[in-house]
Amino acid sequence: MAYVLNEAPAGPRVTLPALFTTFLKVSLFGFGGPIVWARRFIVEQQHWLTDQEFADLLSLCQFLPGPNVASITVCLGSKLRGPAGAAAGLAGFIVIPWSIGFGLGALLLHFAGVGGLRNTLHGVSAVGAGLIIATGLRLLTPHRTRPMALLFAALAFVGLAIAKLPLLLVVTALAPLSIAAALTERAILR
Amino acid sequence: MNLPAALIAHLALLSLISFGGFPSVLPDLRDFVVGTNGWLTDRDFANCFAIVQAIPGPNMILMTSFIGWQVGGLPTAIASALATFGPSCAVAYTAFRFWDRFRDTAWQSIVRRGLAPVTIGLVIAGGYVMARVGDAGWASLAVTLAAIALMLGTRISPLWLVAAGGALGALGGL
Repeated sequence: MAYVLNEAPAGPRVTLPALFTTFLKVSLFGFGGPIVWARRFIVEQQHWLTDQEFADLLSLCQFLPGPNVASITVCLGSKLRGPAGAAAGLAGFIVIPWSIGFGLGALLLHFAGVGGLRNTLHGVSAVGAGLIIATGLRLLTPHRTRPMALLFAALAFVGLAIAKLPLLLVVTALAPLSIAAALTERAILR
Repeated sequence: MNLPAALIAHLALLSLISFGGFPSVLPDLRDFVVGTNGWLTDRDFANCFAIVQAIPGPNMILMTSFIGWQVGGLPTAIASALATFGPSCAVAYTAFRFWDRFRDTAWQSIVRRGLAPVTIGLVIAGGYVMARVGDAGWASLAVTLAAIALMLGTRISPLWLVAAGGALGALGGL
């Protein structure tokens, strides 16, 4: 796989306000799937990355901790303009959208106990859970031919959801074993 | 430790280990906030989750902000937001600088192939726990299953599914 993320972009220098406004838009439009909008603005509109570069960056950020799009913002801002770029992108991604979202949400939360709204929120919560599970299943698709991968995904699921073990314990117990399994897979392939 | 400080310290820890994105820490966060400390009811927690599905903005950061708001007011809400993205963004910044340097090494792809299944299992667990939260009955689980099927089987925008879920809830009282 070709990683060319740290090379300077070919076009003119990207300005800090451009980083701020682009990630502001990604965040504000990001209903239900910010990744889709991130791709649209970064690849199609601004041409800051090619499709392949965006896919590489996304796969790195999916495996880093934290909200994926926030990580993309930091990585891309830092690639284009160093620490100031990372800060400008992150500020655009968070400050204004957070303020708007917090105001709207606080209002909703205040009335969350009221009959009609309470029932609506039940329905939305049920769908939200489904969207997360679907995202997980889609991410699992490329690994479906690897028995060890399916085993470790199942163990992580059972450990957290059924056995209700602490996340830190599940991660520290399974991650090294799963990496060791990936290592033996490779040895067998060879 | 007073209430807000304990919450913020826990959020900062979760931020560092939220591999696969923030949904993977939802089960742990729920145990901490609802179970261990009893700051919120299960239904309050589910409401915070539902509200951020329906509004724009960085939704997992907003969710922890709403939890913080209910625990200790606006200052705690802001501190919770910072604790949610601060540590993980610092990791992203550092990792990005190092990642590229080792991009062609074999161990990098092994680490990636090893970690991916674990993070995926955690993400699915996060969704499962949110599907079971509160007084979720059969109707509610059926809506979750329908959302999974429609997301995987069609190209419909998630926004429509969220709207349909809200409408079904309002009409039928799931």
